[in-house]
Amino acid sequence: MLRIARDMILACLVAAAAVPASAQERSAIKPGFVLPPDTARILLFRPSITVGAQSTAGLFEPNADWTAQAREALGASLREAEAHLGHTVIDYAAPDGADAAALAEYHALFDTVAAAVIEFQFFPGNRLPTKKRKDQFDWGLGPEVGTLPGLGGADYALFVTTEDAFGSTGRKVLQLFAALARVSVVSGVHKGFAGLVDLHSGELVWLNADLQMGGDVRTPEGARKRVRELLAGFPGKPADTPVAAADANRAR
Amino acid sequence: MCRLIVPLLAAALCAAPVQAARETLPLPPFTTAYQPTTVDERGLWMEADEDERRMRDAPEVIRDPALNAYAREVLCRTVGPARCAAIRLYIVRIPMFNATTYANGMMTLWSGALLRLHSEAELAAMFGHEFSHFELRHTLTGFQRRRSGSDLLAWAGLLGAGGIALPTMVVGGFYRFSRAQEAAADMLGFRYLTAAGYVVTAPADLWTRVMAEQDATEIGRYRKPNQRYVAGFFDTHPTELTRATYLRAAAAQIGGGGVDEAARFRAAIAPWLPRLLGDQIKRNDFGGSEYLLNQLAVDGWTTPLLFARGELYRERGNPRDLSAAAGFYREAIAHGDAPAEAYRGLGLALLRSGQVEAGKAALRDYLARRADAGDAAMIATLIAG
Repeated sequence: MLRIARDMILACLVAAAAVPASAQERSAIKPGFVLPPDTARILLFRPSITVGAQSTAGLFEPNADWTAQAREALGASLREAEAHLGHTVIDYAAPDGADAAALAEYHALFDTVAAAVIEFQFFPGNRLPTKKRKDQFDWGLGPEVGTLPGLGGADYALFVTTEDAFGSTGRKVLQLFAALARVSVVSGVHKGFAGLVDLHSGELVWLNADLQMGGDVRTPEGARKRVRELLAGFPGKPADTPVAAADANRAR
Repeated sequence: MCRLIVPLLAAALCAAPVQAARETLPLPPFTTAYQPTTVDERGLWMEADEDERRMRDAPEVIRDPALNAYAREVLCRTVGPARCAAIRLYIVRIPMFNATTYANGMMTLWSGALLRLHSEAELAAMFGHEFSHFELRHTLTGFQRRRSGSDLLAWAGLLGAGGIALPTMVVGGFYRFSRAQEAAADMLGFRYLTAAGYVVTAPADLWTRVMAEQDATEIGRYRKPNQRYVAGFFDTHPTELTRATYLRAAAAQIGGGGVDEAARFRAAIAPWLPRLLGDQIKRNDFGGSEYLLNQLAVDGWTTPLLFARGELYRERGNPRDLSAAAGFYREAIAHGDAPAEAYRGLGLALLRSGQVEAGKAALRDYLARRADAGDAAMIATLIAG
């Protein structure tokens, strides 16, 4: 029932204008970090995928079918993309018992660190004093991440998270009427981020986050586009094909 | 309309003919292995499934097989084997009085509840209430209610209609709806409690003690106790006083009889009692903790209770508290089965009371018993100094 409070706040913010996402940086790589091709073993953790609709007032309406479709489509696209990354990518087999608890803590820690990077580094106006130096990217999960069970000698861990809320018909109609009244109402939320963690040092070596991603993750083509955007700028990746570069201009 | 649910349920309850000393109230039909079908409900189950993936691996979950088996047994006894098969129960180490239910049948029981319950019947009352949230699909109806209400507000806000009255009405409606759900869960939970053959005054007794603890907390913090009958605008639950009152009235309709299984409950909790007490002491709630300790000590002060009381008084740390704490530690030690930490507490309390030699002797006793203690080096400096 605690959700009521959260949703109320959301509802109250409905009319508020959208945060200008253009001020946000989208990607960062640890200075001096180079991932030589064909050498690294990368573990892919279970992607966190949520897909739903956005109600007229902006409440998130989870949709099980869309999420299942997205999980399948994104999974296929990720496997496809892995083949082109130039590295060995392995799906992480989740452990049981106490090991699972340790893994869950690291997953939560990664989400927290990634959220901190997005808030306190990617948004220049909000940058922490210790993160202000140019070309600085100094974040990590601690070296103990390498002691997680089942890593199997992997060098890096890849985390992928996407969150999509498609504007409902009601939301779009509201947006239209709001536009007539010159009030900005955003329809749809399409966020995603991907990060690479060095399992030997625990450092976050690359993070790509975008609060306005393209690609309808429910469809195979859309998921392919989303994965391209998520992995754009992946260190040590062979140069993007021209098609991918053209797609980076989002359609939305 | 939602406000009708409570009177309707209450009416249904009262309308049943009173037969012997105790009757069994009819339970609603139940479909085993229920699967959600609508878009909304399937979405909420999916969200809850993701939450449960995290909960399954969460470090705060108590994995003790014996405690979990006991709690599950009480749950199944309360709602019946068919219904309890739909529930996964997680006992979470949070020192507050609460339990939660998710759309998909995940249920959490907070460790603070175990400290506050006095009998299996009271645990059954909590489980009955929580299971009713699941059975009545409250997550779904609550979500739909919030969505329709917020949609209305979004349009009204855009059109500049409704002024201040409409948002007040709609927002007040969310909370009123939530309170009606809680009351409905209370009443259906009460039926489970009755059907399972437990003492039916258990939930009313429980809420009465919760109120007393809140009052003790307030008094301990030099504030005025404030039990109300009427719920506030933003309250998600009916007030404790309301709940105790209607549950007491319902119990009076049923009559006496039933088992409370208090001894069985105490035996099941006993291995965890020292840890539950330790968590409670850390809440910095002298009045509430003292009330709980006194409640637990109705049949005499056992060693864990005395040790916890010593810690509680030593933490507050007035000179008179230190003197009282030393007394509690000594009593605990006299029982013969006190933890080594009782000697540490005694030593520290005596040191700070100016009884240096006696204090150092107690600390030496502590180190003799727990040479590998994490604070051994620090305690050693106190002895040397």
